[in-house]
Amino acid sequence: MTYEERVEAFKKRIKEGHKVEATDWMPDEYRARLIKFIEMHANSELMGALPERDWILRAPSLHRKLAVTAKIQDEVGHAQLLYRLVEDLGKPREKIFDDLVNGRTKFHNVFHYPTYSWGDVGIIAWLVDGAAVISQGALQRSSYAPYGRTMRRICWEEAFHLKHGEDIVLTAMMGTEKQKRLMQEALERWWEPLMMFHGPPTPPEKDKDLEWGIKTKPNEQLRQEYLSTYVRKIQEIGLKIPDPKLKYDSDKGRWTYTEPDWDKLYAIVTGNGPASKERLSFRRLSLEETAWVRRAILGERAQAA
Amino acid sequence: MHVWEVFRQEQEGEPMIHVGSVVAPDRERALEYARDIYSRRYEAYRLWLVPREEVVEVTDLDFLQPPVDRTYRMGIAYRVTVEKRRQIKEMFENLAKEVYGES
Ligand SMILES: [Fe+2]
Ligand SMILES: [Fe+2]
Repeated sequence: MTYEERVEAFKKRIKEGHKVEATDWMPDEYRARLIKFIEMHANSELMGALPERDWILRAPSLHRKLAVTAKIQDEVGHAQLLYRLVEDLGKPREKIFDDLVNGRTKFHNVFHYPTYSWGDVGIIAWLVDGAAVISQGALQRSSYAPYGRTMRRICWEEAFHLKHGEDIVLTAMMGTEKQKRLMQEALERWWEPLMMFHGPPTPPEKDKDLEWGIKTKPNEQLRQEYLSTYVRKIQEIGLKIPDPKLKYDSDKGRWTYTEPDWDKLYAIVTGNGPASKERLSFRRLSLEETAWVRRAILGERAQAA
Repeated sequence: MHVWEVFRQEQEGEPMIHVGSVVAPDRERALEYARDIYSRRYEAYRLWLVPREEVVEVTDLDFLQPPVDRTYRMGIAYRVTVEKRRQIKEMFENLAKEVYGES
């Protein structure tokens, strides 16, 4: 069989719903796409821990502090699980971190924004993690089985993140006018990034990650599912979504909304978001500050061997 | 650094299930990492860590599922017993009729 024939046979198996394991043969393009896709996901989990990290010391109660800390630990744990997959696909961890801190690889748009209040913490945990669970739920059926399995575990843990975030928001909405305003302002800050979260409405036939079965649902479908799941829940508690065009079009059976500026999304994920530089330099600093730990562990082994 | 495959038993008596892997320089650290990554919420009753080099993988389907009929090893192949019971019952009824005559 020639290489091309092998690739065709592989594509056919994927279309039939077969799954690929790390030790199976796979086309170079599939491997490269998996690395890029999963690496961005892993980077997002790692970078996603930073905005919330700022609020550990400012959490309003001990319970909230414990919960926020646990959530952050989960996110770093998710990064660990996903980086293992990328390493197994052939990219070493040192290279992954080097690319990340030097801006050669990406992380999700929502982690390029600063946080201003405790309201942001609630909205992030409820609605940003909620958006992530919609895409991660679909990824459970990825053609790459180790990724699908990891998604099942991650989604299970995310259930706590969502509930914890929703609880923060609901508590504030039962509180004073000032607390309600805090949530409303946070929602207004996050709505645009949330509408961009699932990416531009790329036609499914042009989306290579869909073709290879790495993803299983087109971007726009994910966004529609997101709106169907959350719009009512948001409005029910007295929050106003800052998009006058947002409505469910029952004739078309879909949500219509103000089209996000996709060039802006591109600029943000390529490192030009309001907090991109700061987050990356903080990550770079952590990497430098912990270098001695890695040296100690590896050096000690080198001597013992 | 070594890769360790992690197997988890979620409850006493349940099977060990592969849940993922960790990279660590030695056993002690491997099990700390595995605890932190795979049992933050009491999910594990027991963990097994196996150095990846020690895992023997077999994927050859000609070997695992040779193309010969092996249904004779399975209960499902013996569903015919229902029909056979019916036939035996009929046999006895006919025999009874022969011996004692119609009644
Ligand atoms: Fe996560
Ligand atoms: Fe999360």
